[in-house]
Amino acid sequence: MNQILLITDGQSNVGESPVTAASRALAQDIVVNVIGVVDEGEAGRIGAEEIEGIARAGGGMSRIVQPHMLTQTVQMMTQQTVVGTIRMTVNKELRQLLGVESVAELPPPKRAEVVRMMEELSETTRLRVALLIDASASMRPKLAAVEEAIRDLALSLQSRQGESAVAVFHFPGEDPHVPCVLDLPWTDRVDGLGKLFRGIRMQGTTPTGPALLRVVEYFRETCGNIKEKTEHSLPPRGWEDPDVMESGDVG
Amino acid sequence: MLLKGKWNGNVYRLERPLGAGSNGQVWLASRGGAPCALKLGLDAADLQGETNVLASLERGSRNRPKFLLDADDARLDGRDIPFYAMRYVPGMPIRKFVRRCGPGAAAAAGGHLLDRLAELHEAGWVFGDLKCDNVLVAPGGQVTLVDYGGATRIGRSVRQFTEIYDRGYWHAGNRTADPAYDWFSAAVLWIHALDGERLMRLTRTLPPKNRHPRELMRLVRTHPHLRHLEMWMRMALEGRFGSTREASRRWRECAARLGGGMPDGIPGWMAGMAAATLALAAVAAVLWFAR
Repeated sequence: MNQILLITDGQSNVGESPVTAASRALAQDIVVNVIGVVDEGEAGRIGAEEIEGIARAGGGMSRIVQPHMLTQTVQMMTQQTVVGTIRMTVNKELRQLLGVESVAELPPPKRAEVVRMMEELSETTRLRVALLIDASASMRPKLAAVEEAIRDLALSLQSRQGESAVAVFHFPGEDPHVPCVLDLPWTDRVDGLGKLFRGIRMQGTTPTGPALLRVVEYFRETCGNIKEKTEHSLPPRGWEDPDVMESGDVG
Repeated sequence: MLLKGKWNGNVYRLERPLGAGSNGQVWLASRGGAPCALKLGLDAADLQGETNVLASLERGSRNRPKFLLDADDARLDGRDIPFYAMRYVPGMPIRKFVRRCGPGAAAAAGGHLLDRLAELHEAGWVFGDLKCDNVLVAPGGQVTLVDYGGATRIGRSVRQFTEIYDRGYWHAGNRTADPAYDWFSAAVLWIHALDGERLMRLTRTLPPKNRHPRELMRLVRTHPHLRHLEMWMRMALEGRFGSTREASRRWRECAARLGGGMPDGIPGWMAGMAAATLALAAVAAVLWFAR
């Protein structure tokens, strides 16, 4: 299951329409979610309609939030997209097999079984989330919140049973011909995140559409090329005494 | 208002709302005159996930009175509303209970809470979304966990959590369900119950990158009641108990020092004197036994 999560605070102003780009992503089974992140009193600057349009074309959802809500929103969107995608698939099967519209129409014992299966799939299905971060000048004060949200998402993905990975891009690139830059290729580790956006020169243009297309291309290039889950990727639970890591692990 | 199950045909009378959970509302209801609680869900698949957890726990505990009584759909305002019926347990959220009855009451309730968690863990589940609102205490001190929306099989990723109770938020581990996940939340629960204002201020002012259990321990050490629990808190936040039964045993040892309920607002020096008196009494008792 593939997702792009676009985090932006403005309106695109260069290149292809981001709505068209998002529909091209969806055509390749990549769902596009969009978060508009604004400070108080800044809401007018954001292209609310554009954000909604991108998400609709990308088969995903959109929200406009303040920086302190970013972490929760990223979590919620990613999880709901996984659950929603699986529900859609399962409901389609139910229509074909049993002629019912959704799981809600099944009698309780059958419903229990189908829901158990859907949860199993949500937990184990392979999941890749590419984050595309608007790094135009006005985003600078919000990047700390963005970094925290990415760390938190990576932590949740790492806690799943299924194979999961995140990748991070920012846009625009320094060269006008480069719509976006890969900051972090697919990874399933949280501890390697570090400072993501150090030393970025913030630019004025917002080539949202071309950047989305570049990320779609990246999915195509790297498909089936995610690093194997490494043996040990837990941050230590006993943070003062390295010896206590074992004794805390009772799971 | 009457509610009739579509599949099983039971009829419930809705009496009054008891509260709202993450994915629905809980009502006090009655069926044939007997009280019960009904959870009305917003989404059938969502609520079924919760019903599945309750049903699975039910299968593991045959000697106890049934908790999950019925699961069905009802037609309300032209829509099918999924619901389940459960045993009605009177009680108040643990934070309110402790504020009303004093920290001494926390000692007993905390032990009961850990026993509930131990049963859950031994059945292969983690509660997940442990927080003050989800722990009800009856007047006699019995503890009931409510809202199983976060309950997760051990080894899977926690289904639902609340940020400040989550060890991932405090950079103290991942979100894979293991008993230690609940121990961590239990520690935060006591900080929230006994020192809520300072905890909230800390989460508002601390930059995200500085979130760390040591900040929680700082609150524990500088609070007149929590400091008695320092040892237990440290072990809970670090996930260092061998089992939840051990966590419960150690809680009882530590929490005995919370005393028979020192009401809030007693000046520190007086509380200190009381502690000194207790210590003297303990020494006297030891001497007496040693004779």
